[in-house]
This record gives sequence, structure tokens and C-alpha cells, in this order.
Amino acid sequence: MATSAGRGLVSHDTQKRLQRIAVYLTALLISVFTIIPVYVMVVIAIQSPATTFAGGRVNLLPTEPSLRNFLVLLGSTDTVRYFVNSLVVTLGSTVLSTTIAVAAGYGLTRFDFTGKSLAARAVLFSYMFSPIVLAIPLYVVFSTLGLLNSHFALTLALTAISAPFCIWLMWQYFQTVPIALEESAWVRGASRWRTVRDVVLPVARPGYISAAIFAFAVAWNDFTMARVVMSRDEMYTITVGASLFLDRVSIGWGETMAVSLLISIPPFLIALFLQRYLLQGFSVGGLE
Amino acid sequence: MSTALKSRLAAAGSALRERDVDGTTLLLAACFVPMLAFFVVVWVIPIVYALGMSLFASPVRNPEFVGLGNYAALLGDGAFWGFLWNSVVYAVATTGLSLVIGLGLALVINQRIRGGDALRTLMIFPYLLPTLVVIFMWKFILDPNIGILNQFLVDAGLIDKPIAFFSTLEFAMPAVVVTSVWKFASFAFFILLARLQAIDPDLYERARVEGATTWQAFRDITFPHLRGAILIILLVRGIWMFNKFDIIYLSTRGGPLQQTTTLPIRVYQLAFSEVNFGMATALAGVMFFLLAGVAVVYFRAFAPEKEVA
Repeated sequence: MATSAGRGLVSHDTQKRLQRIAVYLTALLISVFTIIPVYVMVVIAIQSPATTFAGGRVNLLPTEPSLRNFLVLLGSTDTVRYFVNSLVVTLGSTVLSTTIAVAAGYGLTRFDFTGKSLAARAVLFSYMFSPIVLAIPLYVVFSTLGLLNSHFALTLALTAISAPFCIWLMWQYFQTVPIALEESAWVRGASRWRTVRDVVLPVARPGYISAAIFAFAVAWNDFTMARVVMSRDEMYTITVGASLFLDRVSIGWGETMAVSLLISIPPFLIALFLQRYLLQGFSVGGLE
Repeated sequence: MSTALKSRLAAAGSALRERDVDGTTLLLAACFVPMLAFFVVVWVIPIVYALGMSLFASPVRNPEFVGLGNYAALLGDGAFWGFLWNSVVYAVATTGLSLVIGLGLALVINQRIRGGDALRTLMIFPYLLPTLVVIFMWKFILDPNIGILNQFLVDAGLIDKPIAFFSTLEFAMPAVVVTSVWKFASFAFFILLARLQAIDPDLYERARVEGATTWQAFRDITFPHLRGAILIILLVRGIWMFNKFDIIYLSTRGGPLQQTTTLPIRVYQLAFSEVNFGMATALAGVMFFLLAGVAVVYFRAFAPEKEVA
């Protein structure tokens, strides 16, 4: 075995070098593929259309940054209202989803009952489920109950998509939390409730931050549920509202990319500051 | 959880339950009531209700019971099989390409190359950027009048005149696939990277000492560790792509000439363009049973519930 490396057609060193080049080339290609669209969005957002399209070609080197596109958005569209709607339902469903998940995850880990694997299958099945296939039944029910065009209905619909994975994540997370911590609190006379508050919740923090990030991302990203549940313009979330921008004569690519940049701010902040929680979530499956 | 631990816990639990001085029953309720209520309200009731609706012709205006009539009409229509085929093509192409790119990049970053951390952070963007933003970017890049790809291809002399990618019969599906892969390759990447980083480095060290080539190390150490994750990605990602609505709807609305109309797009059209809720709920029902079938296979083959229960 020890001599096999030197027996090939190319020497070991050359082989290593070629491999190194291949590694960097792959990294470079994928980075370029990933960066170009993001770069294009940012540049078009921050310069006026007159600059971007000067001379009949797209000018992608920002020479004259301008806030013009953002001012047009604020002045002649309902962007602000759409953002408020998005924030309301996103925060609502993030809190709801995370709360359900923490409670369920703790209970499923710490209490014994029969049918646990059935519960696990139900959670996994709903985790794989299709938003559009759920959206139709939800539409029908909300419509019967007169709940269409309400923040409440959309919050429930978004929670329906994010909660299964959040429950799964917390269920896995609590299994890594040793019960000894709780036991020692019980021995010292703490009630189960106090133990939950003072021992369990602090220890579970990285888990529920992770769950909250996924719930947030799902709701912020959502188009399907909002499209189905909201039909009145003043109730649109930013993704639904902005999706109709390109149909309007008064709005061009400059404003479209500007609103895209605004929508991208929360994901950008998560990538910068909460990355490790996101990666932790991927170690048990990720979402959507 | 070990059996010893479980019985200890059960003993502790039942001791508390007997006295119930500190509200274990209440804690039990607090844990499970929200989840059960939630599942019943947003999953069980709507799905049962919709399955019921699928048995009626135009259930909203004047419900007339037709039994499985909607299903028969649906499956008897040749167009259905075309939409099913589009869904399969889209799911296979996007899942396959995402896996290849995600795996390639995960292997690369796992080599601890210079700039690897920055690249990893970069890959979060496609995953977190809302689908709508991704569509705007690619609609601009692929635009026939001002798109930079057309500009580049024309300048390089590769094509004579710009191509309207999203609205040309032969390019619409590839354009949607590329857009989707851009967004979803990171999913495979992050899952595979997490698995790669969990492999004990000593294994590679031992293989190196024994003179194994890089290929042998990959085949005998890396691949066996990734196999489970790869199968999960193919399965779960595949299901999600099969059922993907937003990215196709926002890029082509299912056109041109229904070239990119998949089952999710068709469900939406039936419900909201043709306002035929009998057929829409029947199609949703078909998709529900397809998914349930795949789930049964998945549970049999992988027993994923063993991870927790």
C-alpha cells in the first residue's frame, strides 16, 4: 500500500497540486455563481435608473450612488404598509411556533407515553408537507369562518408550515440536555415548574434561538400562504405586494431591486450575527 | 434516552403525580395542549374538510355529491399526466443539481481552504433570501432586453439575438431549474457540511498513515458517513421540489403553454383562476395521498422516528 501513491502516471506532488487547483476552482466557480445575482441587485438598487441604463447597456460599476429608488418606493407605493404587515405576521408566527415547539419538545422528551413513535411520524409527515397543498384547505376553512384577510389567519397558516420542524428541532435538542440538571434541582426541593423556568429554559436557549430563526425565515420568505390568505391590497405582505410591482408601468427595475434589498436586510443580519444557530438547525434537518 | 434514565424519570414523574403538589399534571397539559390544539386546528380539520369538499361538484355554490367523480375526471384528463411529468422533471433536475453543487462545495470547504468561512457565510444568502428576491434577480439577469446574460452571450457571439428565457418553450423549464438550484443548493450544502464536520479526523489520519489515496479515503470514510444524509436530501428535498409552488408561479405562472405547469401550479389555477374548488381539492387530495405514500416508504426504509422516540 505504501508504494501505491508513487506508482501512478503522475507523481504524487503533481497529483496533490492538481487536486488543490480543482478545489479552489470549484470554490471560485460557486462563489461567482452565488455572488453575481446579489451584486447585481445591490448595484441596481443604489443607483438611479438613468445611471444604470445610460448608453443602452446595463452599467454595473456603481459610480453615482443615489437614494432615488428608495424615495420613489416610499413616495408612490405602499411599501411601508406591506412591511408592517410582514413584520406583524412574521413576529407573531415566530413567537407562536417557537413557544409550541419548546413546550412540545420538552414534553415529548421528558414524559413517557405510548405512541411516541406515532407522534414522531406525525411531526415528520407534517414537516415534509407541501405548503400549497395545505394552503387550499386552510383557504377553504378561513373563508368559511370569515377569517380571510386577517393577520390572525396568516399567522396561523405560517405557523402551520414552520412549527413541525421547530418541534422536531426542540425534541432533538432536549435529548442532548442531561436530565441530571433537573434532578438535582428537584432534590433541592424545586417544583417542576420552577425547574422548567430556572433550569430548563436557560439551558435550552441555543435550541430555541435556532428554532426561532427557522420560523422567522419561513414566515419572512413566505409568498404562498400570504397570496392565498390575503386578497385585499392593504393586507398584503411585502413579498406579495412587491411581486406585483413589475406589472405597474410606474415602477421599473431600480425600485424593484431597491425593495428586494430592503427585504434582504433581515436575512443579511441573521447571516452575519446568528449564523451558528442556523448551522445548528441544519445538523437536524433544516427547513424548506 | 437510556432505559435506566427513562424508568428513573417515570418514577420521578409518577411520584410527583401521586401528590401533584407542584402541578405536574398542569405541566403535562402545558406541554401538549398547545401542540395538539395547533395540529387539530391547522392540519386535521382543514385537511378533512377539504377531502370532504373534493367529493362534491362546485362545493361552494350548490354542493352536489359526486363521490369520486372529481378524482375520476382529474385522472382521466390527459393534461394531468403532463403536469405530473413536469413536476417529476422539475423535482429530479433541481434536486440532482442541488445535491451535486452542495456536495462539491461541502467537500471543498471541509478541506479548510483559505476564505472557507467567508464562502460558508455567503452560502447562507441564497437559503435565506426570500424566493421573490431570487426571482427578481434572475428575471433581471435573464431578461431579453436588458439582461446581462443575453448581453454577454451576444457580445461573445454565441447567440445572434437575445433569448427570452422564461417565456421560450425550450428554455422556460431550464431557466426555472437554474433559478431554483441557485436558491436550494445551499440546503444540501449545509446538511452535508454538518455531517462532514462530524467525522472523526483520526479516521483520515489513520488512512493516510496506511497509505490510502484521497479517492480511497473518500470512498471508504467520507462517502459511508454521507450516505444517509444524501438519501435524506434526495427524498426530502425531492418531495419539497415536487411540491414547489412559489418559485415557478413567480417566474413563469406555469407558462409558456403550460410548459412549466406542475401539480402545485395546477392546484392554484383550479382554485383561484378557474374557481373550481371541487377539482382543486381533489387534486390537493391526490397530492396528499402521493405524499403519504412516499412518507410510508420513508418511514419503512429509514425509521427516522428512532432518532427521538
